[in-house]
This record gives sequence, C-alpha cells and structure tokens, in this order.
Amino acid sequence: MKRFAKVMFRTSSLLLVLLALQPAIFASVDDAQAFALQAAEPYVKQGFQVREDYWGGDLGSGEKKAVRQQLFKGNEYWFWLGTEVDKAKVSVHVYDSDGKLAEESDGWEKGHFAAAHVIPKATGSYFIIVSVEESPEDRTHWALVYGFR
Amino acid sequence: MILFTRHVKLSVGVLCGFALCASAAQAPQHINIKQLTTTVEDVVVPLPNEIFGALNKLGSVNWKQHVRSDKGPNFTERPRIALLLGTVIADGFIAVQAEDAPAVKDIGQRVLALAKGIGVGNSITPHAKAIIDAADKRNWDNVRQELDRTQNSVQQAMNEVHDEKLSQLVSLGGWLRGTEVLTSVVKEHFSNDGAELLHQPDLLSYFQTRLQAMPEFNLLIIREIQDALVEVKPLIDVGDRRIPPESVKKVNEITTRLGHGIVTRD
Repeated sequence: MKRFAKVMFRTSSLLLVLLALQPAIFASVDDAQAFALQAAEPYVKQGFQVREDYWGGDLGSGEKKAVRQQLFKGNEYWFWLGTEVDKAKVSVHVYDSDGKLAEESDGWEKGHFAAAHVIPKATGSYFIIVSVEESPEDRTHWALVYGFR
Repeated sequence: MILFTRHVKLSVGVLCGFALCASAAQAPQHINIKQLTTTVEDVVVPLPNEIFGALNKLGSVNWKQHVRSDKGPNFTERPRIALLLGTVIADGFIAVQAEDAPAVKDIGQRVLALAKGIGVGNSITPHAKAIIDAADKRNWDNVRQELDRTQNSVQQAMNEVHDEKLSQLVSLGGWLRGTEVLTSVVKEHFSNDGAELLHQPDLLSYFQTRLQAMPEFNLLIIREIQDALVEVKPLIDVGDRRIPPESVKKVNEITTRLGHGIVTRD
C-alpha cells in the first residue's frame, strides 16, 4: 500500500510538472503561425491575399534569419512575423538584392508581432531578415507569412 | 481650462508613446548581403497569380485567350502527375483572371482527379468542392484562396510522406505555366515593365538545384526541363539591364514547348 502511494505521488508530481511546463513543451511553430496570421487579418479586408505557405523555426535572443523571396514590381507586399512567446521582442525588415533597406516607413513591432511593408521598385530577389531581439525563452518560435495585392 | 489642456497634453503624450512602441525599431539602411552569416531559407515559390496581378496592373490582358480546361491524358508516373497538377492549378488561376466559371469548375474536378492519382486526394476533396462552390457564386477572391490552399495541402500531404521532390515538381509545373502565359502576354504587347517580371534568376536557380537532386526521376520531360532552364537562365539573369523583346519571345517558345510536353503523353 505504501509502495502504491509512493507510485501515485510520483506520477501525480510528474503530471503536475508536465502541466506547468506544458506551454513551453508543446508550443510550436504552428502557434507562432497563428499569431502571424492574426497580425495579417486586418489587411485581408484591405484586399491583401495572404499566402498559405509560410516560413518558421526557432531562434535564440539576438539571432537573425534571412529568407529570400521573389517580389514583383507592381505588387504591394506585407510580411507579418509572429511568435507565441510572451514578452519576446521580434522584428522583420526587408532588403533588396544590393542590401539596401527596401521597406516603407509604416512597418511596426508590437507584442507578439512585427510587420514590414514593401512596394518593390524592381522585380527580383529580396531578403527578409527576421530577428528575435529579446526573449525570456532560450529558443523562440517564429513564423513569417506574407500577403500581396 | 488648464486641467483640460493638461488632459489633452497627457492624451497626446500617451498616443505618441503608443505609436512609438508600435512602430518598428530603426533598421540599418544598408546591410552586406554577401556577409550574411545567418542561414538563408529556401525561397517560397510565388503563386502564378502574384505574377498575373502585377501583369494586370500594366494594362488590360485578354485572359480568356489563355484559359485551358481540357482534361488531357492520364499519367501513371507520379512525377508526371505532380508536374501536371502544378500546371492545372496555374490554369485555375488563369481561369479566375478570365472570370470563367465553367472552366474553373472543370479545373477543380481535374485537380481532384490528379491529386487522387498521386495519393493525396483526401486532403484536396474539401478544397475542390470549395473551388466549385465559389466559382458558382463567382466569388473570385475565394477561388484564388482555395487554389492556394489546394496547392498548399497537396504539398503538405506530399511532404508528410517524404515526397518533397514531388511537391517541388508541383511548384515547378505551376511556375512553368505561369511563365508561359506571362511571356505570351508580354510578347503580344511588349513593355519593359512587363519583361522585367521575368527577372527571377534566384527562383530559376532554385528549380535547377532541386531538379539536379532528382536523378531517380529518369523521365524525358524532366531532362527536357533541365536543359531548357539552362537555356532560359542567361535570358532572364540580366542584372540591371533590361530584358529585350527577343528574350521574352525565346522564353515563351521554350516554356510553350515544355508546357506541351507536360500535358502530352510521350
């Protein structure tokens, strides 16, 4: 009986620990994508078509990732970055193939989100730089979606 | 009055503070792309309608003349089905540009049949139905969204069973058909801005790399596409120079030939 109680105690302790760690363990790029899509939502009403495809991964504080993307002159693009981590600070900026900042001045960063607006001056490859500026977590999930009109 | 002024000042201060918090932090005006130490992710292949949208803004296009909804042959080789599937999804976007509801519905059925042929029919059924419903209602934005979802679901289903190479062939099929139509439109009414839409060298390199990693797909059409991309590369990889009408015509000849090869039995 004593042994049974011990097993029960250990099992429930483990369950409690798992429950407490649950957000960190089970959080995923999909959660980050949900935030990115949430940031994109208001823009759909303005006629932007949000792509189903997206990029995602995890980064440590201060780490950056570059994503290469073909953009077409004549279109207008928004890139939305999301993370599920509370109190993380993320950013997204867009550069042309010469490394020149190519975004409009109305990009923004707030809470779980960051966004960059591009009206390409030329058709070609652009670099979207995503960054986790600060985060309470060792690794921070991120997801980047984009829309165009 | 003083209290009111103070209140106004405070509100303005709070609003400005919020605006500053919400605005982007200052980004460097210039970075050295060549010294990017961070890993560069693969490109996301643009949807055909990203190109068509940009093309539309340059002047009216007679999309109806590019609509293609014939059923075509049935293939058994999965790489061929994947290429054809990408092409047919691109045809869906063309039919939407032409606002041709019967063609969109036929294409919806064809996409479903091809997806079944490749073993990913289950993930496509709801999208095919949504495409047909939206075409009935002439809700073109919804059709576009569902075509994107269709392609994404097909590719996700393929990736889940480690058929990433087939997934890449779907993208390639769509890109080839999109380029065929783009060059056809620009060839008829040439403009420098229209020709500039062909400036996609990194995307072409991406497809070349992917095809090189598919030696197991020993099919004539795959080899023809590989050779054709080598021909196309110097025509569109022109740096800051303009793409001349002759190059547009040449790319159109190449992509039309490949398009015919994709939909025709050997």
